Amino acid sequence: MSNMLKMSDFTPVIGIEIHIQLKTKSKMFCACPADYSGDEPNSRICPVCMGLPGSLPVLNRAVVHQGMLAGMALNCAVQPVTFFSRKAYYYPDLPKGFQTSGCDMPIAVNGWLEIKDDAGNPKKIRIHCLHIEEDVGKLLHSASDGRLEGADASYVDYNRAGLPLAEIVSEPDVSSAREAVEYVTALRRRVRYAGASDVDLEKGMMRFDANVSMKCADGRWGRKVEVKNMNSFRALERAIEYEIKRQRKIMEDGGEVLPETRHWNDAKGVTTASRVKASARKFMMEPDLPPLVVTPDWVEEARASLPEMPNEKTARYVEDMGLSEADAAVLTDSIDVARYFEGCVDAGANPARAGNWVRTEVLRVVNEKRCGADELTVKPASLAELICRIDDGRLSTTLAKRVFEAMLDGLTVDEALKKSGAAEGEVGADALGELVRATLAANPDVVEEIKSDKLDKNTKGKKIKFLQGLVMKETRGQARPDEVSKIIESALNLR
Amino acid sequence: MRFRSMGAREIAAGVREKKFSAAEVFEECLRTATDCEDRLSALAAVTAEAGRIQAKRVDEKVAKGEDPGLLAGVPVVIKDNICANGIRTAAGSRILGDWVPPYDATAWSLLADQGAVLLGKGSMDELATGVSDGSAAAVAAGYVPFSLGSDTGGSIRLPASYCGIYGLKPTYGLVSRYGMISYGSSLDQIGPFTRSVEDMELVMRVLARHDPKDSTSVSKNEIFARRTNTLKGRRIALVKEFMDFSPTLDQITADAMKRTIRLFEESGSEVIEVSLPTVARYAAACYYTIAASEAYTNFARFDGVRCGRAAEAAGLREMFETTRSEGFDGGVKSRIIVGTYLSEPDCYEKYYVAATRVRTLIAEEFYKTFDADRIDCILQPVTPSLSGKIGELNLYTLTANVAGLPAFSLPAGLQIIGPRWSDGELLDIGLEVEKISGAPKIAYFLQRR
Repeated sequence: MSNMLKMSDFTPVIGIEIHIQLKTKSKMFCACPADYSGDEPNSRICPVCMGLPGSLPVLNRAVVHQGMLAGMALNCAVQPVTFFSRKAYYYPDLPKGFQTSGCDMPIAVNGWLEIKDDAGNPKKIRIHCLHIEEDVGKLLHSASDGRLEGADASYVDYNRAGLPLAEIVSEPDVSSAREAVEYVTALRRRVRYAGASDVDLEKGMMRFDANVSMKCADGRWGRKVEVKNMNSFRALERAIEYEIKRQRKIMEDGGEVLPETRHWNDAKGVTTASRVKASARKFMMEPDLPPLVVTPDWVEEARASLPEMPNEKTARYVEDMGLSEADAAVLTDSIDVARYFEGCVDAGANPARAGNWVRTEVLRVVNEKRCGADELTVKPASLAELICRIDDGRLSTTLAKRVFEAMLDGLTVDEALKKSGAAEGEVGADALGELVRATLAANPDVVEEIKSDKLDKNTKGKKIKFLQGLVMKETRGQARPDEVSKIIESALNLR
Repeated sequence: MRFRSMGAREIAAGVREKKFSAAEVFEECLRTATDCEDRLSALAAVTAEAGRIQAKRVDEKVAKGEDPGLLAGVPVVIKDNICANGIRTAAGSRILGDWVPPYDATAWSLLADQGAVLLGKGSMDELATGVSDGSAAAVAAGYVPFSLGSDTGGSIRLPASYCGIYGLKPTYGLVSRYGMISYGSSLDQIGPFTRSVEDMELVMRVLARHDPKDSTSVSKNEIFARRTNTLKGRRIALVKEFMDFSPTLDQITADAMKRTIRLFEESGSEVIEVSLPTVARYAAACYYTIAASEAYTNFARFDGVRCGRAAEAAGLREMFETTRSEGFDGGVKSRIIVGTYLSEPDCYEKYYVAATRVRTLIAEEFYKTFDADRIDCILQPVTPSLSGKIGELNLYTLTANVAGLPAFSLPAGLQIIGPRWSDGELLDIGLEVEKISGAPKIAYFLQRR
């Protein structure tokens, strides 16, 4: 039978569960700080996030607000009344012996995101729901590779316990590893735009699980396998690819895919069956928290703080500003860059030129410094000023780039001009005339060609540009290019 | 023996007016406790050292002319499931080992802020099975003028009535639960034991505060402000279904009921009969389901990892199992098992969700009855039998917990139950009854010769 089946006879059916850490100052149910990076283990804890006997949770309003923002960014509807549940199981990283979670009645439901399918056509991935819940502590094992196997002691750090998470569950609409990556990329961008999370993958702020099953053209359905433990886009992609291959092979050989939980081993590039038997999850209502009521006013307040989303921005850049779709996509990838670009345009810079500058110079510096565009010393208005001077011919692009470098040290455009060696228009008309004459004298063959009638207009223009370039080089970019070409043309009696 | 029969208000006034010092009061109460403890075992721990420091602080404040608080120098016992910073808290269970909480329960810190001085932790049976018997006995024997207990299904009212003193189970949400080791979170309430209604009111004025650390806590301090000093025109209800049990009543309780009904009638109250069929029929099952489900999750944190006792074991699972097998007693284990079962996916809807729905019906039936018949309170025994078994469900008390109602246990073995937030009015009624039938006396017989 297997010989008769083609690869195209198998359709992967994939649903993705994403945990993101919501951006708040303090934890979900206590006042401990949410940012503990670099702190000693168990230094950011209190009786509440340690689940000490007698302690009680108090819901942080900011968590609800951020959860709503994330939900709205994913086109979800916010539920007016929800409640929290206790999800009980035993594990040392779980302080109370249960996780307090909004999973039974999610705060946001019925969302969607648009991606491109493998053929390049638009495709909607439906989002079942988003709920908020608390994070657990972190286990550290004494084994040399940090894994549980072979460790003779394990330690728990509860700094992370009680951090606010949003769990986002998609419908099984994803059909390939590539689609999965596009979906999580788009989702990450929108959640970041909304300000709901920093979604810093390196800091573990975004984690993935995937439910993978296979549909075969001969009518067989494989059972659903839950693949856990992916912490990067690459891991998600590889894990799904691996799982698709593994399940297809089993079905090709006439075997049956078992419904199970498998763990992704990133080092070995394989999924392995989890040895822990998944026990039934037990729920009950959280009696220590009253129902969560989100008033229409609160929903509106959240909605009002939601910025324009990347897709809408891209469309606007293309339609209103005449940018190419590819350039617009680069500019809208992160909101701070998009805001920087818009700041330049608002300050009077030409959108096309501002777009080029932001895509090249600004992004280069942002990547080098590993900072946000909003943290740059050169503010959008200053860059706009620089761009305007290029546009009205007072500065060459070459010089402008040097000036920009100097501005990064905190100088104004004028200060930077001075520091970079010369003020605008320092090369006087006489000196420029002298330079042009010298350049023409040094290139008699080019001059001869231009003066002859052998060249068409276009080629002639190129030759003049070549001479202009030489002169500009001599002035170290300080002359105005249009003035240089004017002098060249008059010296050659072309005017 | 100057202070043993004094009430909290009298002691606080004396300390404030420098008639005697907080230290003198504390030392005498400590001596009483030491004398009686070998026969009474009311205390899980005596906090002599911490108490002396607190008493000294009160005396210093008085000396400096600062306000020492409403409970200046008043010694108190708090049940051992209520945390006090730096004081070993075991809640009657081996599983907590030598755990010392690093924080104060809100109820205790409210008392301490008003100058109360900790004499000891009231003994109790383990966690879920533990009535507040030590706290009640300490007040009855005169160690202290008042103490704190907690009531999940009758754990304040039962020992109060056994000991012949006052015990109040406040309306759910009136007193913060922060720092009290939870059993059934939606049923638990902290409340005081006293030997007079006057002291009960004093302590409740201190305790009834909204606590931002407890999301179920409510701001209702004003309910103790109003005063109606008459029983005339009050409407007192007897519940038909509970009166039907009267053949099983102890003679002593039956007599108390008759006496008290007559007292109300002679004082101009109207005593009427009402019917609460849903309450009578379903409250016990509803209570048991909710209490066990909540207890099972509340006790899940006792795993030996963060606090309390941890068993030596080779592996993780074994450590959990041994810690919990050795740490809990049978009564708690059976509740955990029942709670685990009731929240299994198959049973969740059938039992747990059903119980929460029935609970709403029970609360509604109470509400409608109080409202339609303009009833001030229900009068009924705390328990049909004064020699009830420990840990046995008591339908007479648990109904108030299921519905979140206040219930005030009077020394005669009776309780009055009112609508939500009628705690102040229950005390008013209790005070009028006390004026006629007198306040309880101290159980001196326990004194060692």
